[in-house]
Amino acid sequence: MTRYVLKRLVGMLVVIFLVLTIAFVIVRLAPGDPAALMLGPEATPEEAAELRTQLGLDRPIAVQYFAFVSRAVQGDLGTSLFFRQPVTEVLAGRAEPTIFLSLFSLLFALIIATPIGIYAAYRRGSFLDQAAITTAMLAASVPSFWTGLMFQRYLATDLGWFPASGYGGPDASFLDRMGYLILPSIVLGIVNSALILRFTRASMLDILGEDYVRTARSKGMGEARVVLRHALKNAAIPIITVVGLTFALLVSGAVVTERVFNIPGMGNLVVSAVLRRDYPVIQGTLIVVATVYVLINLITDLLYLLVDKRVKY
Amino acid sequence: MRLTKLRKAGVLAALLTGSALAVPAGAAGTIDVAIIGEADTFDPMVSTKDVVSIVTQHFVETLYTFDSGWNIAPLLATALPEISEDGLTYTIGIREGVSFHDGSSMDAKDVVASLKRWLEVASRGKLVADKVASVEATGDYEVTITMKEAYSPLLSLLAFSNSAAAIYPEEIIAETIENVVGTGPYMIAEHVPDQYLQLVKFDDYVSRDEPSDGAAGARQQTVDEIRFVPVPDPNTRVEGLLSGQFAFADSLPAESYQRLEESDVADPMLLKPFGWPIFAINHKDGLLTDKAIRLALQAALPIDDMLFAAFGDDNFFLTDGPLYPEGWAWRNEAGTELFNQNDQAKAAEMLKEAGYDGTPLRILTSRQYEFHFKMAEVAKMALEAAGFTVQMDVVDWATLGQRRNDPALWDIYITHSPFLPEPALTSLYDKTSRLGWSNPEKDQILTDFTTETDMEKRKALFADLQAQVFEDVGFIKIGAFNALSGTQAGLEGVTATPWPFFWNVALPE
Amino acid sequence: MAATASAGSEPTFWALLLSRRAVLVALLVFVVIVALCVLAPLVAPADPAKMSVRARLTAPGADYLLGADAFGRDVFSRLLYAGRVSLTIGLGVAALSSVAGIAIGLLAGFFRRLDAPMSRLVDAMMAFPDILLAIALVSILGGSIVNVIIALSIVYTPRIARIVRASTLVIRELPYVEAAVALGSSTVTIMFTHVLRNILSPIIVQATFIFAYAMLAEAGLSFLGVGIDPSTPSWGTMINEGRQYLDQAAFLIVFPGLAISISVLALQLIGDGFRDAMDPRLAKDL
Repeated sequence: MTRYVLKRLVGMLVVIFLVLTIAFVIVRLAPGDPAALMLGPEATPEEAAELRTQLGLDRPIAVQYFAFVSRAVQGDLGTSLFFRQPVTEVLAGRAEPTIFLSLFSLLFALIIATPIGIYAAYRRGSFLDQAAITTAMLAASVPSFWTGLMFQRYLATDLGWFPASGYGGPDASFLDRMGYLILPSIVLGIVNSALILRFTRASMLDILGEDYVRTARSKGMGEARVVLRHALKNAAIPIITVVGLTFALLVSGAVVTERVFNIPGMGNLVVSAVLRRDYPVIQGTLIVVATVYVLINLITDLLYLLVDKRVKY
Repeated sequence: MRLTKLRKAGVLAALLTGSALAVPAGAAGTIDVAIIGEADTFDPMVSTKDVVSIVTQHFVETLYTFDSGWNIAPLLATALPEISEDGLTYTIGIREGVSFHDGSSMDAKDVVASLKRWLEVASRGKLVADKVASVEATGDYEVTITMKEAYSPLLSLLAFSNSAAAIYPEEIIAETIENVVGTGPYMIAEHVPDQYLQLVKFDDYVSRDEPSDGAAGARQQTVDEIRFVPVPDPNTRVEGLLSGQFAFADSLPAESYQRLEESDVADPMLLKPFGWPIFAINHKDGLLTDKAIRLALQAALPIDDMLFAAFGDDNFFLTDGPLYPEGWAWRNEAGTELFNQNDQAKAAEMLKEAGYDGTPLRILTSRQYEFHFKMAEVAKMALEAAGFTVQMDVVDWATLGQRRNDPALWDIYITHSPFLPEPALTSLYDKTSRLGWSNPEKDQILTDFTTETDMEKRKALFADLQAQVFEDVGFIKIGAFNALSGTQAGLEGVTATPWPFFWNVALPE
Repeated sequence: MAATASAGSEPTFWALLLSRRAVLVALLVFVVIVALCVLAPLVAPADPAKMSVRARLTAPGADYLLGADAFGRDVFSRLLYAGRVSLTIGLGVAALSSVAGIAIGLLAGFFRRLDAPMSRLVDAMMAFPDILLAIALVSILGGSIVNVIIALSIVYTPRIARIVRASTLVIRELPYVEAAVALGSSTVTIMFTHVLRNILSPIIVQATFIFAYAMLAEAGLSFLGVGIDPSTPSWGTMINEGRQYLDQAAFLIVFPGLAISISVLALQLIGDGFRDAMDPRLAKDL
């Protein structure tokens, strides 16, 4: 067990290094000149070239890569070309909304989707089952930016139930800021609950069809006990998988949602950074997000170990 | 585990208090302004971005500025300069008793240091640098600029908030200025990138006494605090304005006009006319270095359809050929018979005569501004009807900014400009611009135009220059368009300008 | 793919599949949509690129069956041509990521030695937020349909791979698989006869979602301003263009939105149908 965890930790470092390398390459190959962009539309090509030199963008890519990796190892993700501020500082300023947006919407999705999914599988073919799948399917069939724009328009602008956009001003308290996340969390949560519901239901159906569940039933065990004791326990693996996957979806769903609601989170930052060709910020975000993903994967795998004794390592 | 519980509690609390938070809390006398993006610098000297101008004019000032009729008016200077008969010497009086935000007071030395930096680092300053002989303090509160040759646009350049000749304390002058210190009515309190820029009243601000007129005259600090909030998505700006989050929202889509008009919360504000879309032409390399093909291109374009598709509502555009709108001093009709010919058959003939070989005409555009893309789509259809092979390169704004610097990559790129008070404020006419438009006749007219100081003669020269734009197809003006912004209902004192400012603005009770 | 795998029990499978009315309807609807799009040049009443700017935003009616867009182009005709693009993207991504995902997942789940490197690869791919990876790839490769398919397939492959690996890990240890190994069946045979057949249903469910997500992701990329070339009509680019006219011409966002949503719904129902129809067999095999 300890050896396995250690092995996974080493693997994690390998993955992060891989990600780091890929991120560097992808970002550098993209067209677009950060210098021209920073100088504005009337700047001359000469000025742009001058700024490129100043920023070190004209050095050989291998030199840039080596410098980048050795600094990254020391926790220095470079300086944002756009903000002229350390990337770690820029990212730290954006973490809060993204973390809470993801957590709220995951929670929203889990609370809604898991019980309905289990019940729908248990009462397969019933009206509730049909209604649940249909709703889930509809929810998963609409582009999330469309839902976001509609909710923003009708629930926030017209009805005034929620703030339409943003994350509060200088005097907003923590609770105020969280208030700005409610509507975006719902929008993001809806799409993800559709996935979780369907997956939960599908897994439960798989399990309910299995022999040992039938055996338990035939032994006269009550239905509720069958579901809770046998089926739920065995369905945990796929559900954990899907929660892991959904968390990944959430973070990237946050990209679109933060854009619609103008929430200054990491998703919004990353889109702006791509448009601004702010290489260090893109790299930094990728590295931080990658680390989070890898940690989640590690936790997911360890959870397999705990809930399913059939998996041996 | 405990953390999770805490987070759950947080969610619950947030959910419970959600509806109560719908009305944004703000300090009294605070104005929230939605702008189209983050200003990447607070030093207006080094940037030509409009968003930088809009923000920085509140804390950084220039010697001169423009009144509502685009006349030059003094700001940090005492009055308009004394200009010698030969147009070579400008003697500028500097106001006494003006304080910088760091507490120091402004004098001629600060002005000289700032202007010298402007000539070195600002893209507009560099245009003038080789014409300037010296900038000297000729008294504690007097600065003298001596020119090598007369250059009539100088004062306009000194008054412009874009690539601005901003006045900084001598002490902070450096290649790059990290912490901007100005003399403006507001000063930076806090900046959270991509979230807000908070400006607060500068208590030691000394306003001019003249009545306010455009950006000129008195600047009253009617609100305590101004917050600029970058909101890149136009729809989000509309929703934010309509839900009462913003007192002002810049650059809104034409399609939202109706909603703003019907709303009780907000009002539309139309800046009419705002500016002109431009098809910039590559004279350095490629297909359009051939004048005959340029003329065919100009003949084929259906300007009216392009504008209609781009703006959708006759309220938002004008199919107008002259380079300046009705009512402006520079207005004239020279060459405009070549505007909006919309004659693809004629263009086809011209192409044949020019011996066009089917080389693709590359139109470089982005969707940062949706109307650029729409105009390009309609243009493409008409150009194909005329026999052009058209290649659309739709890229993001950053990529466009890079590609257009390489003459090998494009034939036309699409941009736009506000109508500028002085024609020489744009580099389009200049042979050193990235368009590289040059012919001996035009170059001579331009030189005469910038050295001439008599307004009537300058107007005549500008008419010649305009004729050249059409006859040699230097670039193509695609009519004129209006800009829509929105204000909170009852907001008073906002001037319609491409660079809106918020001193003198009063919130409704 | 499903049909081949279930060749042995085809009558039962199809009977079961078609016994559910919802699935039947979904299948019909989807076939009609695909047929209309494939036959677009014959069916479309107008050239999808032909502009009549003065007729912009004409409401649906006699002249324009589903209205005219901001350039006065026929929305119905564009919808058909756009459908070719959107469906191609969806199908391409689902197919490409399934094949790659199954390969990676089976190898990782079945061969202990390959598990670590394969899993690292999958982990590294998954570590990128999908939209961002797609943006980055599309902005390097350029916004063509093929490049969007490649970018999105790279994004979705790990989802299949992980599910395949997790299921393989479980199935590998099942007594009858161990028995097959003991009886000397070749690894390839075991992988295909036992493992692949048994994990096909979650893969189909997942591939269905990927088909849907790929179409939705294409729309998302268009929303963020980095999708396929915006002058190529797809349902995503049509929605994105239409959203500017929500007040004046809601039909511009409604019709392509419906086209995506109906296709996605139909696909999901079909996927569910597959799953349910294969279920009894699955239970029997286990």
